[in-house]
Amino acid sequence: MSIPLVPQLLRSHLKELADNDQRLDGRNQYQGRDLELEVNVLANAEGSARVRMGDTIVFAGVKFQTMTPYPDRPNEGGLMCMAEVRPVAGRQHEAGPPSAASIELSRVVDRGIRESGCIDTAGLCIIPGEKAWQVILDLFAVSDDGNLFDAFALAGIAALRNAVIPQEKFEIGEDTPLVVSKTPIMCSYQRVGGRFVFDASGREELGGDERIHITLGDDNHVHSLQKGLKGAFTATEFTELMAEARKKGDELRKMVHALEGGN
Amino acid sequence: MKGVLVARLDNMTEKKNAAGPQDSQRVPRLVSPGEDLGDLEGYEVGHGVIAIDGRIRATKNGQTNVNGTTISVEPRRTAYMPRPGDLVIGFVEGCTNNIWFVDIGAPFNAILPMSLGPAKADFGGTRSVIDIGEAILCRVQEVEETHSSVVTMKGMGLRKIRSGAIEVIDPHLLGRLIGKQGQALRQLKEESECRVIAGENGRLWIDGDFEGTLEVRTRLRSMTAEAKAATPGGVA
Amino acid sequence: MGYGDVQMIDANGIRNDGRKAGDVRPISIELGVVPVADGSCRMRWGNNDVIAAIYGPMEAHPRKIQRQDRAVLDVRYNMAPFSTSDRIRPGFNRRSREISKVTAEALESVVMLELYPRSKIRVEIEIICAEAGTRCVGLTAASIALADAGIPMTDLIVSVASGKINDVVVCDLNKSEDNYGEADLPMGILPNTGELVFLQMDGDLSPDEFQEAWDYNMNAAMVIHEYCVEALKTGRYPQ
Repeated sequence: MSIPLVPQLLRSHLKELADNDQRLDGRNQYQGRDLELEVNVLANAEGSARVRMGDTIVFAGVKFQTMTPYPDRPNEGGLMCMAEVRPVAGRQHEAGPPSAASIELSRVVDRGIRESGCIDTAGLCIIPGEKAWQVILDLFAVSDDGNLFDAFALAGIAALRNAVIPQEKFEIGEDTPLVVSKTPIMCSYQRVGGRFVFDASGREELGGDERIHITLGDDNHVHSLQKGLKGAFTATEFTELMAEARKKGDELRKMVHALEGGN
Repeated sequence: MKGVLVARLDNMTEKKNAAGPQDSQRVPRLVSPGEDLGDLEGYEVGHGVIAIDGRIRATKNGQTNVNGTTISVEPRRTAYMPRPGDLVIGFVEGCTNNIWFVDIGAPFNAILPMSLGPAKADFGGTRSVIDIGEAILCRVQEVEETHSSVVTMKGMGLRKIRSGAIEVIDPHLLGRLIGKQGQALRQLKEESECRVIAGENGRLWIDGDFEGTLEVRTRLRSMTAEAKAATPGGVA
Repeated sequence: MGYGDVQMIDANGIRNDGRKAGDVRPISIELGVVPVADGSCRMRWGNNDVIAAIYGPMEAHPRKIQRQDRAVLDVRYNMAPFSTSDRIRPGFNRRSREISKVTAEALESVVMLELYPRSKIRVEIEIICAEAGTRCVGLTAASIALADAGIPMTDLIVSVASGKINDVVVCDLNKSEDNYGEADLPMGILPNTGELVFLQMDGDLSPDEFQEAWDYNMNAAMVIHEYCVEALKTGRYPQ
């Protein structure tokens, strides 16, 4: 079955929980699951990270390739973000071309990082008009128990901030760290049982409704927003989520910075 | 990459010999698939073992168990295989004009024919009786190799589940949950003041007030964590 | 094929990673690494990092792949884009397709499929980091993951590749040895009977060299099997 079954009982139970300010696993409304973040975990990638949020586990890998700059931007390189949710990550994920949901996931995570401007593509130029670096961020889900959005976004930025441009391998010079000027953090909220919660688990996602993804930069600038799935929310609800995203964003940003060696 | 003992030709253990089977004692121990458990002579094969060329071999990862003359391996984890008479909790995944397809957590779905359902409906009115996504408490009526298992809702206590929560645990933990002669489960029900019905397929129906349900769920979580920590091979 | 002038083993028989001819690269194994799966295994072997996850047995969809007499094994071997020195574009890959097929056929020789007619068992093998011999690591990890999932098998499968470098037969090729060597012989072995369920070869081996490489694989498989068994008992190897 490609569309997961949503037992109706789950939805009514989630409503009862929400009415009593409770969640399936005992967390608070805006509390995240146990979080692990590691960097430099992939020997063949030029930057890498692994994130575990509850039972959701993902890898991010940064690879560099050279490219010919686009004619209208001769002094710029490029950034590409690709997210893959392969069948390994869950029973509900089947082999085949990417679903609309996984394409949305990929693009939302891409925008969160790209729009922050944390990677200056002008700084990726090697020979103007001829050669530039292309930074490719691949996000790979190993286990999907909900909220791949935040897991990918966190792993992605952590991998980028620990990436080293392999200039030696390409015989262009010495290896040098990739310059990443900001740390955009995504926080995702899903309406479960009638109210928004942070870091929805797999079952909450299954029985939940619309989602909102907010990516904020270091100075709490807003870099990207996305509302997904069916449902409507109010301005008041949104304001509350923005405030929560700022708090949580600060926390996660500190965590990423704590892992940086030479940056 | 942490260094570990590398396999060298000069320190290969003599114990394993690819050429032939080994003798072993009948003491309970942990075994893995393919491990030789001795001569078939005088013994019967139970669960998780197979007889090949007069020798008994483990086919699962788990603890050996000798019960009389039957040798078996109790696996840490096993898929639920339906047997006639099993009480199970199922989710309706689909239906036609007169049957429902029910996911009972087995290798293949079960069917619930209209004649064994909770109520009669007009031909084509199946979904008005039980809709897709609903949960039911039912019993396995028959299991046959050439077609799906059949479940029935005709029987005492069998019904649509209209309230409460459904939790899932590994079927092999059911024994621990229920306890000797149902002791542990009775105690859980009393303390949480909830109705708790355990299906053979590892699905549980918890019906009670909100706090009680939470208590049951917490207890299930810690039981699963304990089992993982205590049992060999269980890694969080 | 052979790059005779790349020195990979010195006069004292020491290879470029410090190993002797018969040595296997360091191995570590961990179970349960994909919490949402029915069984899983992570195997690190040299710089290889491989995850295998099992889902099933489950209803076989689509109907046309269903078999009335047994389960079908749906095996996917895939390399993550960041697993190799040069990035691999995601998408259909002919090499991966072939490896998926021969891996499935090896596993079908030991998994007791007839116990689950009309159902399907998914075997997902993902190469997170690659360093020669990924198909061997994948097959071994898959067999451990199946055992973790409680799927009955008549034996585990241990797979390892030996070959020839600078005219010397060696066990368990590393990356440069695989790239610049003269032969590669991967085998999948059933530890309890010594039977083979997986066999490929390419390169150039004399009859004696072939026997030597064969024996290296057989002996190495016995030792690696002990690591697998310990991992299945306690959840990891080494402790």
